[in-house]
Amino acid sequence: MAASVKLHLQFGGGAELLFDKIKKREIELPALKKYFPDCQHDKWNIRDLLVWIKDNLLRERPELFLQGDSVRPGILVLINDADWELYGELDYELQDNDTIMFISTLHGG
Amino acid sequence: MDRIQKLEKEINNLRKALQEKESELFEMKRNWMPVHPNNNLNQEDAAQLQQHNLKNVTKVYYGDKLPKWAIERYSRQILLPDIGVQGQEKLCAAKVLVVGAGGLGCPASVYLAGAGVGEIGIVDYDSVDLTNIHRQILHTERDQNTSKAESAADTLRSINSHIKITPYTVQLDSNNALGIASRYDVILDCSDNVPTRYLLNDVCAIAKKPLISGSALKMEGQLTVYGYRADRNHNEKDLSHQGPCYRCVFPNPPPAEAVGSCSANGVAGPVPGVIGALQALEAIKLIVGQTHEKLLVGRLLIFDGEDVTFRTVKLRPRNSQCAACSESPTITRLVDYEAFCKAQAKEKDLDLQILSPEYRITASQLEEQLKKLILEVDSNQKERHLLVDVRSEAEFNMCRIDGAVNYPIDQFRGDKVDEILRMVNDKNQVTFVCRRGNDSQIAAKMVIDLIDEEHKGNVKDLVGGLHAWSDSVDRDFPIY
Repeated sequence: MAASVKLHLQFGGGAELLFDKIKKREIELPALKKYFPDCQHDKWNIRDLLVWIKDNLLRERPELFLQGDSVRPGILVLINDADWELYGELDYELQDNDTIMFISTLHGG
Repeated sequence: MDRIQKLEKEINNLRKALQEKESELFEMKRNWMPVHPNNNLNQEDAAQLQQHNLKNVTKVYYGDKLPKWAIERYSRQILLPDIGVQGQEKLCAAKVLVVGAGGLGCPASVYLAGAGVGEIGIVDYDSVDLTNIHRQILHTERDQNTSKAESAADTLRSINSHIKITPYTVQLDSNNALGIASRYDVILDCSDNVPTRYLLNDVCAIAKKPLISGSALKMEGQLTVYGYRADRNHNEKDLSHQGPCYRCVFPNPPPAEAVGSCSANGVAGPVPGVIGALQALEAIKLIVGQTHEKLLVGRLLIFDGEDVTFRTVKLRPRNSQCAACSESPTITRLVDYEAFCKAQAKEKDLDLQILSPEYRITASQLEEQLKKLILEVDSNQKERHLLVDVRSEAEFNMCRIDGAVNYPIDQFRGDKVDEILRMVNDKNQVTFVCRRGNDSQIAAKMVIDLIDEEHKGNVKDLVGGLHAWSDSVDRDFPIY
């Protein structure tokens, strides 16, 4: 069974407001099968992470962060400082010590 | 009073006279500008210009086109190998459109004007408000209530009389945007709303112009260059390189309720200053012909003033299926961007009508009820009138009606709502207030929807919020 995964989570551009205004968090995900006993795959991916975030960090107004099983439009997901689209978006398999950043785009000027 | 009015009139006349003299001087100086290859001059004018320029060049030949004054004036940047004489010539011939004369547009255009960018257009429909001045550095106290575009243009002319500044006091929209933008080589997005950002992106995709996009809010700023095309830059090795556009990265607009604004959320003045200055730097680099690796193409700069971090992240490449910038775009003409984004292109007050009139009271009515209450309290009646202010804590700390309690709308749910319900059920009158009377209706509706029928009448909302309170009850209450 796959082991736990340590991640650096970061929120910015206002996305942190949905997470007690905390911009940086260190988290440790349990083994995937422990958290999702019925899960068909072995390793945590971003899709699973979003569910974990919703269950554990996102207490209120989930619609301002999530839409369907993905993030809402206007939030950029960065995996180790690169657009998640470069890594398969929801299907990216999380590695130990990855930095996952959720940046809300700003429009003020 | 007479003396004051007389002085004001005199000052206005002097100002007008000064402006006339300044434009006369500008016209005279303009004839000494270097010859631009793109200038639409008739032959006679061009010959005359050439003559002026020849007179102005000393025996030592400094460059192909730059006259003595330009070499001297711009020497500090010409010294840079990144710019040089050729770069300066390009700057003098360049035309840049700055959309928004606000927190980003002001610093950005200051540096462009200083750098000698030949023509700067500046677009803003709005007028100068005192709350703008902490960040919008081209406007002064005396510019209040005048056009931002004009005010910015005036200051830019005082910074550099050798360049052409064109103010556009219009709201950029699908009808006028292409006409204005097509006169320029580079566009700076210094706007403050989502519809204008999509509009500018599509304008730039259609007109094939690079878009230098900045944004700032609270303590954070973001910056990138959209729609870059290498085939317009002879210094590029790979002429096929094309950077992503705004729609490549953000094909869908965010929900309107997730978008913050400077007037609602606040902004630290130097934050847009940082981003605006960097927008100007990217524009200068782009104009002098730096290649895409050196520009913020396909990369997004994220600035956080809270812990002073600059971070550059890699964006996805251009989307070959992009609706705006692909080879076969589905957006071939401009659309209705306010409808597309379900948001207004003006950072203006919404006037929501959520509650029916029986749940709303005016500022004067509220004042009367509060006065009456003081009498009732004196005569030992138990009934209370609770003022629930749903603005953020920071706003509440700034100013509030005496006796009001703070239940910020962001956290108004669960236990907080229950507390209010209990108070209404105890036969207390509850009036919700906020800045303009929108959030207060949302909060009041939450309570009205949950409360027993018999108590519904005790819940009210202040029409027009604290702005109305300031207007009709307490003139000393700050409007912000």
